[in-house]
Amino acid sequence: MTTNHRVRRWATAGAGLTLALSLAACGGNVGGGSAEGEDFPGDEPITILVGQDAGGSTDLIARELAEGVSDELGVPVTVENKPGANGALAAQELAGEDADGHTLMVYNGSLAYITPLANEDAPDIADYEIVTGISLDDYVLVTAPDSGFSTVEDLAAAGRPITFGTTGVGTGSQLSQELLFAQADIDATAVPFDGGSPTLTAVLGGQVDVGSIQLGEALEQIEAGELDAIVTFAEERPSFLSDVPTAVEAGYDVPVQQSRAVFAPKDTPDEVLEALRSAFEVAFEDEGYQAFNEENALTANQVDGDEIRETWTSNLDEYRSVVEEFGIDLGGDQ
Amino acid sequence: MTSAHDGAHTPGSPGGRTAAGASPQGGVDHVPSTLHDLEDAVHRLEAEAEHRPPPAGPATNLVVALLVVALGVAALVGSTELGAGSARTPGPGTWPLILGVLLVVLGIGLAVVARRTSDAERFSPATWSVLAGLATMVAFVAVIGFIGFEIPAALLCFVWLRFLGGEGWRTSVLVSLGVVIAFYLIFVAALSVPIPHLF
Amino acid sequence: MDFAPVLDGFAVVLEPTNLLYCLIGVVVGMLVGVLPGLGPAATIAILLPITIGIEPVTAIIMLAGIFYGAQYGGTITSVLLKLPGEASSVVTVFDGHALARQGKAGTALGIAAIGSFIGGTVSIVALTFLAPLVAGFALDFGPPEYTALALLGILLVATVSGGSRLKAVIAACVGLLLATVGRDMFTGGERFTFGNLDLADGLDFVPIAMGLFGLGEILYNLEERHTAAAAPARIANVWPSRSDLKQSSGAIGRGSVLGFLLGILPGGGATLSSLAAYAVEKRRSKSPERFGNGAVEGVAGPETANNAAATSSFIPLLTLGIPANATMAVIYGALLVQGVNVGPRLVDDDPELFWGVVNSMYIGNILLLIMSIPLVGLFVRILRVRPAILAPITVLITLVGVYTVNNSVFDIVLVIVFGLLGYLMKKAGFDPGPLLLAFVLGSLLEDSLRRSLLIFDGDAFAFFTRPISGTLLAVFLLVVLYPVIRSALTRRRSAERPIDSKELV
Repeated sequence: MTTNHRVRRWATAGAGLTLALSLAACGGNVGGGSAEGEDFPGDEPITILVGQDAGGSTDLIARELAEGVSDELGVPVTVENKPGANGALAAQELAGEDADGHTLMVYNGSLAYITPLANEDAPDIADYEIVTGISLDDYVLVTAPDSGFSTVEDLAAAGRPITFGTTGVGTGSQLSQELLFAQADIDATAVPFDGGSPTLTAVLGGQVDVGSIQLGEALEQIEAGELDAIVTFAEERPSFLSDVPTAVEAGYDVPVQQSRAVFAPKDTPDEVLEALRSAFEVAFEDEGYQAFNEENALTANQVDGDEIRETWTSNLDEYRSVVEEFGIDLGGDQ
Repeated sequence: MTSAHDGAHTPGSPGGRTAAGASPQGGVDHVPSTLHDLEDAVHRLEAEAEHRPPPAGPATNLVVALLVVALGVAALVGSTELGAGSARTPGPGTWPLILGVLLVVLGIGLAVVARRTSDAERFSPATWSVLAGLATMVAFVAVIGFIGFEIPAALLCFVWLRFLGGEGWRTSVLVSLGVVIAFYLIFVAALSVPIPHLF
Repeated sequence: MDFAPVLDGFAVVLEPTNLLYCLIGVVVGMLVGVLPGLGPAATIAILLPITIGIEPVTAIIMLAGIFYGAQYGGTITSVLLKLPGEASSVVTVFDGHALARQGKAGTALGIAAIGSFIGGTVSIVALTFLAPLVAGFALDFGPPEYTALALLGILLVATVSGGSRLKAVIAACVGLLLATVGRDMFTGGERFTFGNLDLADGLDFVPIAMGLFGLGEILYNLEERHTAAAAPARIANVWPSRSDLKQSSGAIGRGSVLGFLLGILPGGGATLSSLAAYAVEKRRSKSPERFGNGAVEGVAGPETANNAAATSSFIPLLTLGIPANATMAVIYGALLVQGVNVGPRLVDDDPELFWGVVNSMYIGNILLLIMSIPLVGLFVRILRVRPAILAPITVLITLVGVYTVNNSVFDIVLVIVFGLLGYLMKKAGFDPGPLLLAFVLGSLLEDSLRRSLLIFDGDAFAFFTRPISGTLLAVFLLVVLYPVIRSALTRRRSAERPIDSKELV
């Protein structure tokens, strides 16, 4: 067939052309590495990965900060949601990015000190650089007003196994409740949901008896009387919810907090980290950002990377020992 | 390239409908009244508009059914490895297990009716052009990381126009070049998409 | 009800950007409707990458415009060329083309435009009142209800999709299986990833939709399916006469109601409602013999109904997060990609998006009405662009477009793999629609089922003890058993009609 000959001839010609052009290539991006370090951020945009759904607290924090950092550095800063596995997917993606400061992530403390208890494949914070701490968030145990539960004792006296909603496997929401119910000797089944908002909806609708949710996400409903707060899992009563006892006060030793920090891929040059850190510091000073923290019941925790690394590592050790003590299995396959 | 559906006038085309040519006689011969008749009339019209090739034989249908069963078995094997769990404590393998069982059952059902199935189409000489089209795409993705998208895109476009579409040489060359330039301007120059590019 | 958010929604639509995208959507939709081959689901799938960079509300306004615009575009080719551009316009061929041969093409197009406008508008008004009502039940929808709803939705789509029901259910199962690839939400463990990092995240919706619908259809059309374009009929009088309008007013009214109701049902949608409307008009008519020979009602009824249904099929999506048909599944995917939490709380959590999209349909319908008639000539000319030239351009848009979503070459590989799958499925008589819909609903269904079992402590019968999930499951069983019952009845009544394979599931 003549057609075939033609195809072959064209393919040969095409290949020759290709070779010539690839040798002469200059302006393209094929296989080329980009210069890094000296003039960060240049005019390249910055992406902040978020391992949670849009609209959740982590996402809102990232978006709030992205604005300030963008103003300071003069390049666009976009937030990219990559939800799944409590942020492990986003962390995995971050690890594979170029260490040039153009891809960052808002990393949740729970991924560093709780998820490893549930899943040994969880990412290790030693594989990342930490730019700066951001803020702390407390967990609160909530129930629907008509559930008839208002204290931990009520739950123990329910006379049936209770169901509790968690914001996912290996989250602070799960750990806080598992620890509480183990210590209070309550027969309870965990029902994992995908994030704070669906968990909240399930508690509101009475689909599960109780749920542990980050304070900022539940505060509005608690104040409106749509949800009752049973205990908070903070060490001391958070100023945003001062009339609710902490679990520690109720006699259970289960302080669990969510902490957030900005992570960069490992081996990001120091001067880039420094530039980023000062840009975030400027963003933290912004009045709008501080009002945002207030509104969402977030406590500022703008410490440096080393301190974050230290706290999170000791948290992990501590939780590992209590979980072993009570024989709690956070993984779903009990 | 020879036209493939010279034999398309065989009776008993997919769905047992007659693949009439574009014969406009009377549009719809009898106007349907029930929903069921209407569906048939609609299928007839569609078949007429599409020149569907003749139906595949029972062997093809049997192969399709077996593929479905094989997929179901694969899901079953995979799910037991994941841990099938139980109704009280459903595990990661519970749902794939259910789906695997369903696929096996439905696949067997498909095999049973394979002889009566007429909605699959026979592969024809024209299927080669589909393979050729597919090959251009595979080549495109295979080389894009090394030489950028421009040359493979132009070649893909050219092959589709000249050989698969039967356009003239001049049209094919001009359209291919035009398309690649337009893509470059839109995706690289205007949107700065980081797609591998040469220039 | 509180009308402030509804009015705010109009403010959203009237922003110049949104108006522009609404216009683009409607025009693209009409174009797609005119061109046989690519349907609205395929087009929306191919355009998904564009929507990533723009605001969610703007993106959905455009995609919605494509969907209902296509309903009207399909009419034009049905009437003028006897070539239905869309499945939902197939019945329009019967009387629309007959009218055109009598030199009354303009009448048919005009009636269709007016009917479409009225049907669409009636549906939007009903949507405006009904959606917040449904959202009021939002909190009663827990995991068991979602399990039942997702099951019913997938089944209905599989039942009414074209072709064999058995094959449609198989396609749905494959879609559900594909949805399990990736990390298991309940344990954090990987499933069916074969150690591939690109799969750890699960399969992405965009390459699947673009592959199955976009590339799959292009490859399928490559196989010598070019239709010889007939000479278009002449258009003389564009506006329908008063007597035509009078004659079709009843049909338009009935079409609106019928289309609205069928559109809400999962699996219903534009195609089914246009068929039903035609059947109803013919049965009601005092002179049924006119049907097929240019009865105006035969155009007005179905055209009104398909537009009404196109609009009302947004109701289950926007209020419950359950897509009612394949196109809605693609739009659902677009919303997910945008990070919008589709579900009962959408109307309260994101009123701007909700009302912005709903109200854009008023504007879109007005745009359609204004543009359709003067643009008919242009569209007829576009039909002459050879498919051979469009095909490679569409292929390249797909390959490059899918890359831009995640900047990942793996996604290009995926889109090609699913393009091949889409082609093979069509070849083997499988409709890819149920696969995509089941894929989209897969994790919702599985997660809800597992949550329900945890809540019920393993007692599967507890699904029937809750009013909403119980009712939904009862309907589910009815739909499963109906063909069996029907075939048993038919067999008893008349033995001569053979039971085809369709009725086995």
